[in-house]
Parts: sequence; structure tokens; C-alpha cells
Amino acid sequence: MSATTVKKRFKPTRETVLALIVLAFLLFLSGTTNFASRSGLYSFMLDVSPTIVAAIGVGMVIFTGNIDISLGTMSGFVAYTAGALVKAGAPMIVFVPAAILVGVFLAGLNGFITVKFKVPSIVVTLAMNMVHVGFYATFLPQSGWIENLGPRFTWFGRGRFFDVIPYTFVVAIVIAVFFVFVMKYSRFGKTLYAVGGDAQAAVYSGIDPDKTVMKVFLLEGFLIGISALLRAMTRNEVMPSVFIGRELFFISAALVGGISIAGGSGKIVGAVFGAMFVYLLTITMIYFGFQDYYQFALQGVIILMAVYITVTDFGRFNRLLRRITGRPPVHS
Amino acid sequence: MTAKRINLSILFSHQTVLFFLLVCLVVLFGLIEPVFFKPRVLFDVLAIVGEVGIMALGMTFIISTGGVDLGVGYELQVSAIVFGLTYTTTQNTVLAIVLAMLTGTVAGAFNGLVISRTRIPPLVTTLATMYLYRGISMIIAGTDTFAGFPEGFLKISTIELFGFLPIQSVYFVTLFLIFDYLYRRGSLGRNLKAMGFNENAVNFSGVNTRRIKFAIYTLTGFLCALAALIYLGRISAAKTSIGDNLNFEVITAVLLGGTSIMGGVGSMRGTFIGVLIIGVLKKGFTLLNFSGNIYNFTLGLILILSLIVFAVLEEKEKSAGRVAAAAPGAVG
Repeated sequence: MSATTVKKRFKPTRETVLALIVLAFLLFLSGTTNFASRSGLYSFMLDVSPTIVAAIGVGMVIFTGNIDISLGTMSGFVAYTAGALVKAGAPMIVFVPAAILVGVFLAGLNGFITVKFKVPSIVVTLAMNMVHVGFYATFLPQSGWIENLGPRFTWFGRGRFFDVIPYTFVVAIVIAVFFVFVMKYSRFGKTLYAVGGDAQAAVYSGIDPDKTVMKVFLLEGFLIGISALLRAMTRNEVMPSVFIGRELFFISAALVGGISIAGGSGKIVGAVFGAMFVYLLTITMIYFGFQDYYQFALQGVIILMAVYITVTDFGRFNRLLRRITGRPPVHS
Repeated sequence: MTAKRINLSILFSHQTVLFFLLVCLVVLFGLIEPVFFKPRVLFDVLAIVGEVGIMALGMTFIISTGGVDLGVGYELQVSAIVFGLTYTTTQNTVLAIVLAMLTGTVAGAFNGLVISRTRIPPLVTTLATMYLYRGISMIIAGTDTFAGFPEGFLKISTIELFGFLPIQSVYFVTLFLIFDYLYRRGSLGRNLKAMGFNENAVNFSGVNTRRIKFAIYTLTGFLCALAALIYLGRISAAKTSIGDNLNFEVITAVLLGGTSIMGGVGSMRGTFIGVLIIGVLKKGFTLLNFSGNIYNFTLGLILILSLIVFAVLEEKEKSAGRVAAAAPGAVG
């Protein structure tokens, strides 16, 4: 198929469908609530930024056929490190890299155990989740609660351009654009697809899957570090336990975005729209007065549906659709 | 000469090492806190592991096939909540028991249905349904606690046979004997382990692996409901905080017992000892006035350590198992 025919025919990919759903949600919320106001848009962009960055991080781990469910508790450590350093008087140039390094270290540990001992990452990270939570409460003073951090900590998180676009959103978008290009054009991006698609084939083409998985975990740690900071720096205090359970939203966002849990397929753009979708669904439910805990049930259903759509071969459905619309077969 | 070598290998087998570890733990706790040696306390260990043990039996089946159920604790939770709600609204114990058993079984069957009929991996399915079931029980119960169950019902967990043996240990040991028999003697156990090695091969040899998968997840759901009733008989209050830790405890007990997370290698007796180790830790930490967080932290570390240790051991065992599998009747 030549490039011109592709351009002529609109082929709805998963990402475009998701983008349309997000757009529909935005319009719906603007029509029914005060969402379209300056403060509504500001808080949307502020709250969705950490999820976007984290979804990209975990998305890349999922690309390689792994998963990390200690994202939430890892974020807690990152936030605590930043808060403790600020309290000790460290400038931003010190506490931001230090906090991100903590994320890289913790994710690296997950990756190391996964790769070195060939155990499924889900069980490793499940156990780590528990170790982290136990660690907060046992070893950190006041379970890691630090208050009154002051503007030295919050100026970035609360800063905004033109009084509406938060700095954090700009960071998230820059990271998203960067990783879209990394995945599309860089050697590393191709390596990820290769390892996730078929690790054995990757080995034969000269790629070391273990090394790739390790790298991807380190990268995830870096992104989780940023994501946790983007969230923590909007508040005057840090409390590691508020991050517990956040992994549900990050994983949900990546999976809704079409990143295949079987590995080897999906796009970063999908994860970005997935993050927006998950967040918009949350605030829609809040606007309509559903209790917070409906989230758990709903996210569970959404993960199942999203993964079902990703892994299922809709050949019969597509053929039926083609017969109705009279289109010739499309190679995807 | 060869006979002697075999004897030595039995001496250092999985279960022997585990049993040694169990004895060491008991002695250690006993030395720190002499009250631990009292028969009353040791029997209490049997009482508090009842529900973990019963769920771990089903989990051993699942993990042998290379699957996992991450959400057993929440299957227990939702059954317990349904029991509490039904009893407090109708005052009918029998109806409450029936509905609770039905809830757990349906929850397990839904997992089984998704896992056996779609291509969604068990990890993701149960990760999603874990949030789903947790959400459902939160929607049902909110922040309520259902309590005040009748004396007759509480008897299912508070009777002590011969004045000292907690009834839960009788349930657990009876079920253990049945499961151990099924696992080692029948074709079921052989099929389960073979599915862990290569599911397609088992399928092509004329075994309906779909039906087996559906059955074991349903069975585990049923066991969770049973465990819920036993738990309520002991604690006598159904609320949404129960079951949070049970997910970890059950998986840790099974993996500690030497069942491979990759499937194909498993031991019901190992699970039995693993469960007892968990119980001793739980009781010991309570007696030493350690917080639940230290217990969680330790449990997480144990899970990671057992993953690492067994991953190393298992490579050898599995390659030996592959050779042995060529000869009929030699598996396991």
C-alpha cells in the first residue's frame, strides 16, 4: 500500500478513537459543569500531568512484557526524599535530582531482581509494594509526614503560564513528545518493540533482552521520579502514604492507551490519551456525586475491557464491518 | 553409594529445609518470649492460619499451572461483606451463608471465565478483578461494619476439639489431606503441573485445559468464601479493611512452600509448612508487640527472598523435571 492511499482513507486507529473519546468527554464536561472555566482547565492540566508521565514510564515497562505495581509506593519514597531535603535546606538543584535518583534506584532494584533471577516482575513488585509500605510506617519519622515545606518547594508545582497552564503540564507534554520520538525513531525504541514482541527473535538479531528490560526499568524509575515530584510539589506537605494505590491509575492509563500487556505493541500517544481518559472519567464521576470508592470497581472493569480489546483478534467482527461498509480489506 | 546420595538429597529437600526453618522460628520466638512455648499459644497459631491455609490450597493449584490469583483477599472480603449485609438485614444465618458462598464462588468463576475464554493473562485479569471486587465490597459496605452475628454461627470457628484443638485446624488439615491427595495421586495434579510447563502440549494430548483452568479459579473462589466464613467466626466483624493483607500472605505462603511462580513445579506439603511459617511469624510478631507494618515489611522481604532462592534452585529442579517427564509416571 503506498503512502498516498493511506492518506486518502481515514483509518481509525486506537489512538484516534481514544483522542475522540477524550475530546467528547471534555465537551461533555464543559457543557454540563463549570469545567471550561479557567480554574477547571487549570486543575485538569495540573492533576493529569503526573499520570501522563507515570503512564509513559510504566507503558514502556509493559512494552517489554513486564509490569510494575509498586509505582504508587515508589512515588511515596521520591516525594519523601524531596520533602526531607527541602526541610534540610537543600536547593532545587539538589533535591530534584536526588529524589529522581531514589526513583531510579527503587525501579532499578525491581528490574535487577526480575532480570537476574528470571522471576515475573509482577510478583517482585507486589512484594516490593509491601516492603515499601512497611518501610514508611516502620522506619520513617512520623511515617514520612513532613509539613510546611514553603514556597521553595511549591513554587514550581503551583506556577502557571498565562495564569492557566501549569508548569507541570508543560513538563509532562515535553516528556510525552520526547518519548513519542524516542519510541518511533530511536534504536532504543525499536529494541523495546523487538524484546516485547519476541524476546527470542530479539536475541537472534543481536539484542540482549535482559539489558533492555533493565534499562527500561531504570527509565521508568526516572519517569516515576518526575511524576511523583510533579504531584508532590503542588502541595505544602508530603505524606508518602497518599501515593499508595496510585499505580492503579497509571497502569490503567497505559493499558487503556492500547499498550499490550503481552508486550510488543502500543504507542506512547495512546498512554497520554489513556491518562487523560482515566482522569476525566474520575472527575466525571466526582461531578456526578459518586463516592470515591466506585473508582476501584470502575478501574477494574476498564482494565479488563481495555486489555480484552487489545488482545482479542477481532477478525470476524472486522470482516463483518467491511461487508457492511463495502470497504476493501485493510492491512494493519 | 547411590542410595546414600539419595538420602542426602532428601535431607536437603525443600520441605525439610522449610520444616527446619519453621522449628527455628518457633525456637527463636520462644527464646525471646517464653510464653510462645505454651501449647495454648502454639495451637492458636493453627487457629489464626485457618483462612490463609484454606485459600493457599487453591492457590497452589493455580500457581502450579503458571497462573496466579492476586485478589484472593478481596474475594474473601466481598464474601464476608455479603454475609454481613445479608445477616444484618434478614437475620437469617443460613441464607447469609449460602449467599456468601455463592458470592465467593461467582467471583472465582468470573476470574476463571475470563482467563479460560479470553487471551488476557491471569496476572492482568486478577489484578483488574482484584480492584473490581474491592470496589464492590466498598460500594456495598462503605464505612460500615457488620457485626453481632449469632452464637451458633460463631461456633464454626470457636469450638475447640478435646478442649484444645481449634476447629479451624481440623478444617485446614482435612482439606489439606484431600488437596494433597488430588495433587499427588490423581491425574489432576499431573495435568496442573504439566500445564505449567507447556499448556499447549497438555491441550493437544486431549486434556481440556480450559475446563481445568475454569475449575481451579472457581474452586479457589469457593475456598475464599469458606475462608471468609471461618474468618468471620473468629473475628465476628465484617468490614472493608479485612483481606487487605491476605493477598500477600497467601501468595507468600505458596511461593515459600516451593511452588514455582513460573508453574510446573509445586508442592502441597510445602504450602502447608509455608502457611505454618506465616502463622508463627504473625503470632510471634503480635506477642512481641511489633506493629502490623513490621510484619508486612518482613513478609515482603520473605517473598522476595523466597523468589530469589527458589529461582536459583528451581532452574536445576526444572531441567531435571524435564528429563524425568520423558519417562511416564516420573513427574512430581
